[in-house]
Amino acid sequence: MSLIEINLTQTMVNENLVDNIVSEPYKYGFVTEIESEKISKGINEDIVRLISSKKNEPEYLLNFRLNAFKKWKELQEPDWADLGYDKIDYQDIIYYSAPKQKDKIKSLDEVDPKLLETFDKLGIPLTEQKRLTNVAVDAVFDSVSIATTFKEQLAEHGVIFCSISEAIKDHSDLIEKYLGSVIPASDNYFAALNSAVFSDGSFVYIPKNVTCPMDLSSYFRINSGDSGQFERTLIIAEEGSSVSYLEGCTAPMFDTNTLHAAVVELIALDDASIKYSTVQNWYAGNEQGVGGIFNFVTKRGKCIGKRSKISWSQVETGSAITWKYPSCILIGEESIGEFYSVALTNNLQQADTGTKMIHIGPKTKSTIVSKGISAGHSSNSYRGLVKIGSQAKGARNYSQCDSMLIGDKAAANTFPYIQSQQPNSEVEHEASTCRISEDQLFYLQSRGIEFEEAVSMMVSGFCRDVFNQLPMEFAAEADKLLSLKLEGSVG
Amino acid sequence: MNILEKITKSDENNSDSKSNIQKISLERLRANPIPNSKNEIWRQTNKSKFSRFLDFKFSNEFYYPPIPGHANIENTCRIIIGENRAINLKEKNWAIKELEEQEILNFLKQKIIQSDSTQNWSNLLNHFLTDKKNIVGLNISGTAIPHLEIICNSANNVLNSKTLVINIEEGTTVSISQINIGDENSALSISSYFNIEEDSVVNHGIISFGKDKSHIINSLNVRQFKNSEYNLGSLQFEYDFGRLEININQVEGNARTNVKGIQITKNNEQISTYANIAFNGPNGFLDQLNKSLANDKSHSVFEGLIIVPQIAQKTDASQLSRNLLLSNFAKIDTKPQLEIVADDVKCMHGATISQLNEDEVFYMRSRGLTLEEASKLQLRSYYQEIISFLPISKERWDLLALLLKDK
Repeated sequence: MSLIEINLTQTMVNENLVDNIVSEPYKYGFVTEIESEKISKGINEDIVRLISSKKNEPEYLLNFRLNAFKKWKELQEPDWADLGYDKIDYQDIIYYSAPKQKDKIKSLDEVDPKLLETFDKLGIPLTEQKRLTNVAVDAVFDSVSIATTFKEQLAEHGVIFCSISEAIKDHSDLIEKYLGSVIPASDNYFAALNSAVFSDGSFVYIPKNVTCPMDLSSYFRINSGDSGQFERTLIIAEEGSSVSYLEGCTAPMFDTNTLHAAVVELIALDDASIKYSTVQNWYAGNEQGVGGIFNFVTKRGKCIGKRSKISWSQVETGSAITWKYPSCILIGEESIGEFYSVALTNNLQQADTGTKMIHIGPKTKSTIVSKGISAGHSSNSYRGLVKIGSQAKGARNYSQCDSMLIGDKAAANTFPYIQSQQPNSEVEHEASTCRISEDQLFYLQSRGIEFEEAVSMMVSGFCRDVFNQLPMEFAAEADKLLSLKLEGSVG
Repeated sequence: MNILEKITKSDENNSDSKSNIQKISLERLRANPIPNSKNEIWRQTNKSKFSRFLDFKFSNEFYYPPIPGHANIENTCRIIIGENRAINLKEKNWAIKELEEQEILNFLKQKIIQSDSTQNWSNLLNHFLTDKKNIVGLNISGTAIPHLEIICNSANNVLNSKTLVINIEEGTTVSISQINIGDENSALSISSYFNIEEDSVVNHGIISFGKDKSHIINSLNVRQFKNSEYNLGSLQFEYDFGRLEININQVEGNARTNVKGIQITKNNEQISTYANIAFNGPNGFLDQLNKSLANDKSHSVFEGLIIVPQIAQKTDASQLSRNLLLSNFAKIDTKPQLEIVADDVKCMHGATISQLNEDEVFYMRSRGLTLEEASKLQLRSYYQEIISFLPISKERWDLLALLLKDK
């Protein structure tokens, strides 16, 4: 067989691989048949009031929602991102959907077994038998938080980890003080919508000088096709405390696009540190781009205290469209913001993601490492802002965004915005675009490593800087997820 | 009458004194008299400075500018756009021809029809304002080519508008300096078109310097064909409002582009550079460096966009934005962007913002230099990289002296 023929066979094998991988079903695409309570479609002031009353919320929260709704009506849906999608009909969405529960659940045994089965399928250590994993979980199913594990153990250390509805009842003072303090209701279109109709989410409070004894985790699951998910997460780290928080997301497959507009607010006081990790694997739609989640999320952390630190790490592999910029406002002297991201798009997925690092206080530092991988017909943009205010003397930023293109129909864009008003500061930005190197591929293959594995190794190497920042379990999961989503798309 | 009134008022514009080009530009402008400030390439623009630009009275009169530097240098052909005398190119057997008027008008008409009213607003305004007297069109070919020096100037209290169209024929090597001189309290609109045919090499320098309260909007449009090389050096300073738009299109790829520019702002000035470089064929090459230096309360803007569509495989493009912020009140905005679809490409961009290196200053001072001397020396090296790239003899313009005179 001549060399050319060998190459041809190789290409054919590769093409088959592509087919195999593309037809790989979305693992989490099942729907759980469970009785749920939904309210009628659409949004208006009555719906906002209804959601609030269903949750027995205090007056100030109702006002917060109504105010947000008013702002939302005034705002316009943003169109500056490099995204294309049909207009969302906001009146065609159910804004509240909760698994039906008769009474308040006292222990996990009382939770609908079907529901627990769902979480088992997802591999979430919800049941207390899985104590060994040492991760406390708050699971959010559609719009309502189902169960939170390890509560008592955490309480011993004074850590509060519960659903936001519980926090509204039990820790109203903290909610009133901090809710909307990082992302005001009028911040942007989707944040305003979330503020008006958010149904649940997680709340974390770490008291002074406490290092949270275990990683906290929340798991979001959208179950019905016509309801949006609007959860809200609020994490407060008091002076000298530290916490690591993990977030995972899945959804069943539907032909319709489901809206997910979450808001995450982080607050770090003096010497506190928050690490927030996300593995996002919402349903991305099929190869023709039908269905999938619209993931329009506002995430922002405020380093108020001196020497405080907020670190975002994310692996974005799902969603039909992602529009997400986890940001840090660095107010406290010597505070640190970090952003590590891997975004992978395939088929017709679109992602416009990045971060904002706003340096206000002196000697603040930030690091941005973003890795984008685009395959198929997808488009993947990095959009980031680094702003050095006039008081940020001695501020330092380093950004690096690398893109990898797989196939000649995918797009990779980079839009870094850099603004500086302080001469005594340093900003560095670097970006590069490349594709999987044929030489490296050839080398690996000549050493007996299969094509698919070789690609996987190279992608994994490309993302190493980010994976290193993820907590152990997540890093392994992310690595697996990437190979699953991607391998074989090179042909 | 200011410019906006000129655009929106109907009576005067129907007069026969307006050329066809001016009429169709006006039509396009009417729909969109001022560019959308939400658009990225206008977002950072200082509104009050821009409206001051529009407030100037338009004039098509010619004023002879004071030209600094040494007068005559051998083998140089100097053209001052708008100067009312026939350009005598034949005299020395130079291979430069003036383009036929109709040729230029047809070319511009095509451009106007294709242009987008926000992206190409500066060109539309220019074509609406410029009358035949202020358009120069040249065709360059052959080997006996002198150094070309094209001067555009604006006069006190008015807005002048100039258009330049240059076609460089196959296999020609030429160096062109474009000098824009702003008078005190004046405004200037320039649109230049370069059509660079196969196997040609163009070394182009743009030097824009104003005086107190000079305004300029300078739009450069370049089309490069196969195996051509285009080298641009640009230098902008002392403009209260300065705007340089660079559009380079490698029509068939397989071409080389080198762009190096510097902008220097002080007092309350705003100078911006917008570069848009598109590769429409394979094997394109780009090396771009933009430097800026902001002092006092000034604002310096750089936006660069590299577009690599699917057809442009094996493109090698790099863009670097280096900025020095010298004062607490100055501001620098920089945004190097990449839009890439082709997968077999090498694209890089980078940006840095910092101040003069303290260690270097310390070293020089420890060797007996004063602080002033040391920072001057540093600035000199900062400028030199760009100045040495300009296709213009240093003796003639003595640019470093111009730049360093009050730093």
